Amino acid sequence: MRSVGALLCLEYAATVYAASGEASRPRGVGPEFAKFYKDDSTFSCISTPSIKLPLSRLNDDYCDCPDGSDEPGTSACSHLSPLYPHTLVDHSSTGSNISLSLPGFYCKNKGHVPSYVPFTNVNDGICDYELCCDGTEEWDHVGGVKCEDRCQQIGKEFRKLDEARQKSLGSAGRKRKELVVEAGRLRREVEDRLQSLGTEIEGSEVKVRQLEVELVEVERREKGKVVRSAVQKVGKMGVLVGLAKQRSEELRGTLERVREERDASRGRVQELEGVLMTFKEEYNPNFNDEGVKRAVRAWEEYAARDKGPEPDAAHDRDLDAITQSDKDNGLDWAEYEGEGDEESDAGVLFAFEYYLPSSLRHWLDANLRTLRTTLIDSGILADTSSTSTSTSESKAVQAAQSRLDAARSDLANHHKSLTSHQEDLDSNMGPDDIFRALKGQCIATDSGEYTYEFCFLDKTTQKPKKGGGHTNMGNFVRMETVFVDEDVDSKGKGLGKGERIAMRHEGGQHCWNGPNRSTLVVLGCAEVGEVWRIMEEEKCVYRMEVGTPAVCDLVGMGGGGGGGRGGRDEL
Amino acid sequence: MLQLNASSSRWTAFFLLFLALCSLLTPAVTVKHENFKTCDQSGFCKRNRAYADSALSTSSWSSPYKLEASSVRFDKGLLTGIVTKTVGDETIRLPLSVSFYESGTARVTIDEEKRRKGEIELRHNSKARKERYNEAEQWAIVGGTVLSKGAATTQGAEKGTTRVAYGPAGAFEAVIKHSPFGVDFKRNGETQIKFNGQGMLNVEHWRPKIDKPVPEKKEGEEEKKGGEESAEVDTNVVTADDEGTWWEESFGGNTDSKPRGPEAVALDISFPGYQHVYGLAEHTGPLSLKETRGGDGKYTEPYRMYNSDVFEYEMDSPMTLYGSIPFMQAQKKNSTVGVLWLNAAETWVDITKSSSSANPLSFGIGATTTTNTHWISESGLLDVFVMLGPKPQDVIGTYSELTGYTQLPQQFAIAYHQCRWNYVTDEDVKDVDRKFDKNKIPYDVIWLDIEYTEGKKYFTWDPMTFADPLGMQKQLDEHERKLVAIIDPHIKNEGNYYVVDELKSKDLAVHNKDDNIYEGWCWPGSSYWIDCFNPAARTWWQSLFRYDRFAGSATNTFIWNDMNEPSVFNGPETTMPKDNLHHAGWEHRDLHNLNGLTLINATFSALLARSPAEVSHPIRPFVLTRSFFAGSQRLGAVWTGDNQAAWPHLEASIPMLLSMGISGFPFAGADVGGFFGNPSKELLTRWYQAGAFYPFFRGHAHIDTRRREPYLAGEPYTGIITQALRLRYALLPAWYTACHEAHVRGEPIVRPNWYVHPEDERGFELDDQFYVGSTGLLAKPVVREGQLESQEVYLADGERYFGYFDFEGYQGPGVVKVSAGLEEIPLLMRGGHVIPRRDRPRRSSGLMRWDPFTLVVVLGKAGDAEGTLYLDDGESFGYEEGAFIHRKFSYSAATSVLMSEDLAATGAGGSKKAKEYLKGMEKVRVEKIIVVNAPAAWKGREEVEVSEEGAGKSGAVRKVGMEWFAGEGGKAAWAVVRDPGVGIGRGWKVAFA
Repeated sequence: MRSVGALLCLEYAATVYAASGEASRPRGVGPEFAKFYKDDSTFSCISTPSIKLPLSRLNDDYCDCPDGSDEPGTSACSHLSPLYPHTLVDHSSTGSNISLSLPGFYCKNKGHVPSYVPFTNVNDGICDYELCCDGTEEWDHVGGVKCEDRCQQIGKEFRKLDEARQKSLGSAGRKRKELVVEAGRLRREVEDRLQSLGTEIEGSEVKVRQLEVELVEVERREKGKVVRSAVQKVGKMGVLVGLAKQRSEELRGTLERVREERDASRGRVQELEGVLMTFKEEYNPNFNDEGVKRAVRAWEEYAARDKGPEPDAAHDRDLDAITQSDKDNGLDWAEYEGEGDEESDAGVLFAFEYYLPSSLRHWLDANLRTLRTTLIDSGILADTSSTSTSTSESKAVQAAQSRLDAARSDLANHHKSLTSHQEDLDSNMGPDDIFRALKGQCIATDSGEYTYEFCFLDKTTQKPKKGGGHTNMGNFVRMETVFVDEDVDSKGKGLGKGERIAMRHEGGQHCWNGPNRSTLVVLGCAEVGEVWRIMEEEKCVYRMEVGTPAVCDLVGMGGGGGGGRGGRDEL
Repeated sequence: MLQLNASSSRWTAFFLLFLALCSLLTPAVTVKHENFKTCDQSGFCKRNRAYADSALSTSSWSSPYKLEASSVRFDKGLLTGIVTKTVGDETIRLPLSVSFYESGTARVTIDEEKRRKGEIELRHNSKARKERYNEAEQWAIVGGTVLSKGAATTQGAEKGTTRVAYGPAGAFEAVIKHSPFGVDFKRNGETQIKFNGQGMLNVEHWRPKIDKPVPEKKEGEEEKKGGEESAEVDTNVVTADDEGTWWEESFGGNTDSKPRGPEAVALDISFPGYQHVYGLAEHTGPLSLKETRGGDGKYTEPYRMYNSDVFEYEMDSPMTLYGSIPFMQAQKKNSTVGVLWLNAAETWVDITKSSSSANPLSFGIGATTTTNTHWISESGLLDVFVMLGPKPQDVIGTYSELTGYTQLPQQFAIAYHQCRWNYVTDEDVKDVDRKFDKNKIPYDVIWLDIEYTEGKKYFTWDPMTFADPLGMQKQLDEHERKLVAIIDPHIKNEGNYYVVDELKSKDLAVHNKDDNIYEGWCWPGSSYWIDCFNPAARTWWQSLFRYDRFAGSATNTFIWNDMNEPSVFNGPETTMPKDNLHHAGWEHRDLHNLNGLTLINATFSALLARSPAEVSHPIRPFVLTRSFFAGSQRLGAVWTGDNQAAWPHLEASIPMLLSMGISGFPFAGADVGGFFGNPSKELLTRWYQAGAFYPFFRGHAHIDTRRREPYLAGEPYTGIITQALRLRYALLPAWYTACHEAHVRGEPIVRPNWYVHPEDERGFELDDQFYVGSTGLLAKPVVREGQLESQEVYLADGERYFGYFDFEGYQGPGVVKVSAGLEEIPLLMRGGHVIPRRDRPRRSSGLMRWDPFTLVVVLGKAGDAEGTLYLDDGESFGYEEGAFIHRKFSYSAATSVLMSEDLAATGAGGSKKAKEYLKGMEKVRVEKIIVVNAPAAWKGREEVEVSEEGAGKSGAVRKVGMEWFAGEGGKAAWAVVRDPGVGIGRGWKVAFA
């Protein structure tokens, strides 16, 4: 064993001296730390210079320094990290704050770019060419592993790609400039429009004022005619009463029928709700049947919605009352049918409802109003109120009124347009207003069974390839900056590390057992707009990584800035 | 009193109503009891419980079973004879055999002559076999059945008994009583186990169905000659009910045709003087099994074993779960005995305990507790193995010899597994893989649940989401990581799917009662089930896994067999109808509990035959199963199924895994984080800390849960979880050694207190702390929310214990408090042990292969310590040819020397493979020796002397550095030997003085 030990010693010595001859650095030390390894008699731990070690303990694969600085070329100190379950043995020398002074094993990578490999990867039998193309981190050849120096090839490829990247970056920069120009043009368009709107508004205001005057004039002229036309209508009371009776019967019949239908429907709804309630409680979510889940989800949404007032008994009593015969309600049509008295004045006609018993009258009044409002609100009846109030007005007045209304609405529209354009101008469209040029533009990518689409300043969407409805994954709410630490591939695609512009999209379609869908779109620099990656970070919370020239001069190509070499901030 | 009862029941009703309302408000997660039978709903269980009630309530009860003295033969360790059962005028002949094995195990088997000879008629034109199922042993039993030459009948036994002495030094004795038939098993003259001591033996013989309006007199009534009137009335009621369950039985809309009529077997087995029984895995209750006949804190239902997919299973329940091991151990001070009830049909076990006091005035002092058990199976032979101990290891050892030892897992299999239902694309998998590296979190295996397939068709990949499975696996392989893909036994019934086409054309699926292919519903919808009882089906199954057929699978693909109870969504109790027919005409009812085992058996052999190259150089298969039976441990790992992200489930995981450990299937785990629901960060963190001490360590999550890979938790949680994971990785040498002990001796990997300290009665019920193998590591993970101060740990003996992390000293016996902040795992080292470790964090366990070792020598009260290390290539079968390192490290206070000795069997190292392996490991050294509780006499010493065996250098002595540190406060003094540099595979000595 002694000979083995001696051999080892020789090897260390060789390492140290070979290194000192070449760059005065022991194995694994980067140039910026060389100064700590210059003393040729002893080594002082970087964090605790009071601990001095003989040079034979440098890189002897045993961790002596509390900061690991005596083992720059081995994995012996790789456990010195807050992520390790330390015992008193480590804590006694370093206290609670255990960490390494060195960033990792330094690979010279001659022919390529130097880099640090984490100590945990040193001599583990795996060639980490991504970081250490010269293969020097596997110097011990454990298990017979031999990591040949691939730096020439990798460096060449890298430079080729880097060149392409730089080229692409240049092109992306130009594209961005074009976008800025375009954004500026669009902005001016808006500003121009704002200006013209100002003028238009002034014009409209004048017009409105003119029409108001005109309307007053017309009304004054037409007043006499209104009285005459009213007189012509009197004297037909008898006919009217007959018609009213018939109408009343019709209404009663219809009301009864509708009420029966309502009761039947209500019963069915209750039955169905019961079925669905049981369904929701008893289904087995573990079986992951999308159809079933959708149904349960829809039911939950339905059940959570405000379904309006519960049927109340008073209402039904009112209905009972109203559907009694008119006579029971104290209205005897016969009393009026004979009276063809022409002298009955128009007031009777308009006060028709006074003949009804007061309870009924009030009820009818209130309910007809509500019914009508409901029907109008639900779009079943057209809103004719403006015309109905003016039935008695002459055509001339009506025309004047409608001219005025049109002018007023024009004015309102102009004001609205003004506000929205102003808001548009004031809103954050990113640096240089750049996203103005991209607003509403969409880019998409296929991922698995879906196509994912991102539309700038608008929304994100999931579209199943197999067909079926699109799913809104969130509408744009705001722009923010996020810190990212992602890979950049050899083609320069990827976010890299640092602050990036991100767009938050919220309030998408509601998710099974989860929130409404939302998407964070993080932007990195790319020559053309493309969706790099889409991930579901947690249930229905998506993250899209998107390349676009729009953010290029901010972050550099490939998001990482500086042509890739600094992009790998792994350590 | 009556009123009080009424009002209390009203309150109960209100309470239940309240609970029901609560469950409506919160997202209720409770098992659907109505989907699973109670004993009362399972005809044979009800009949036998009633039979037991009759036996117990009738003072003059006499079991109608007799051994015909004239029929008894004994030859070469095997006793045979005929037991008769008399019912009215009819005498039913039941062939008996009692085998005495070299291992010291005795076995009692009772069959039924008529069924054996086929002299019965089946109803409904059934094509089922007529015999009682007699093939369970073909699946479950693999060794230890050499008949004992030493066993001998004892001369001069009293009349009416036959005695056989057997076992080590003839210390065991079976006393077979003729009338009524019964067996007492004795050790050193003392009865340990009694069969039919309570007269509950019952073999339901075949009888034709006679459609009569008036029920005829039935057995049980006859048997009670001269019983009291009242009892007889009761029995009449019972037997009248009974016949209702003899024939067709319906449950949940399914009708079981039961073509063979009633055919249950049942027996009472008593353990006189034993307070505790363990086993009957898998259930969620405490390790020490509860009584099941009602009473305060006791169950009212028997423990049930009928492998089922129990959705959202509940805590502390005797309900059945996914797997069953009908093996029970009884424990009293310094004595352990066990029984294996070898029956694969639905089985229920009632447990009661009775206390008797030698002196009624002594108030329990000197009282003895007897545990009575009543075993009831629906069909098959009555077949029981008896192990008489006396040590826990004697029982589990003989059980493991019978049913087979735990497979020696591949190294990766005991590292960390990352699973989720589901990683959605191959890119997603690669991304998770990268993120683990980026966050410096080690892991070995990533898993794919059912969504990777195209439309739930196994052996296919969804072309949309997993377009490049090989590329994905290549990335994993770069860091020696593996993929586990799920393959279930249900085969989708869909056109143009080669697997189902072959299954049908070769007729390899399970049949229904009419002997046509059985169709049911599972994940893919309409499906068929492979019948792995059929040898042809196994051969075919093997062919499906070949790399050229399962395109997209690679050498680093391993298999997860789920749903193998089998789970059938539209079947009775979510499984197959019992009258389904398997290979050779056996009814599903006969072999249900074996079904899961047969599937992983087929998969196991399939993984050995994926390519000609692998056939000649096989690597050890890895198969995860959900369903299991005695013997499944030979074939893979198991997990406790679909648990929930809730604290009680974390808490229950520990007794459940301890129970698996002492039931011979120690390579078990529970889903870390909890399958259903979203764990809080505290729960997730605590679960990882506990999971780092599960033999099988896998994080898993339901498809509807939020992502929860460790790096997503955020600080401080991610950091704490990473520490727990790295602790697992550092201790992998200790875990692997423990797995080896399980593999060669059947020892549990995690060991409950009673197993380690069978002398300590106070620790018999303890099931929330455990030892890791024989390393002396004692863990008690925190399993309660908000418990951030300390954890009480029970120390069973007078040894000294030390905190693993801080070397804080603790003195047993008794309860000590161990600090338990969120970042802390209560973990102690028992004095007297040596713990092997590898301290260099790597990305996966495969990358630790060449790393040096650290030995932690924990000196105990006497100043000595001992430990072992088992090591091999972690993947091949080379260890069977001696390609392994097995060392014993021992430190003696008397000599102050720590030495490493070879434990490998003599000559084992001679093979070519062994030499190659040792050569490859030549450079792997011990880099550090930490001595905890180091003697104060070492103070000031700076060197130790190291000598190492080796080519011609034997005896040469080197000096290496040593440093001694005083312990501050309550901490132990400790010393570190700096780089002794000795080979892990070589003999060496380190002299401290």
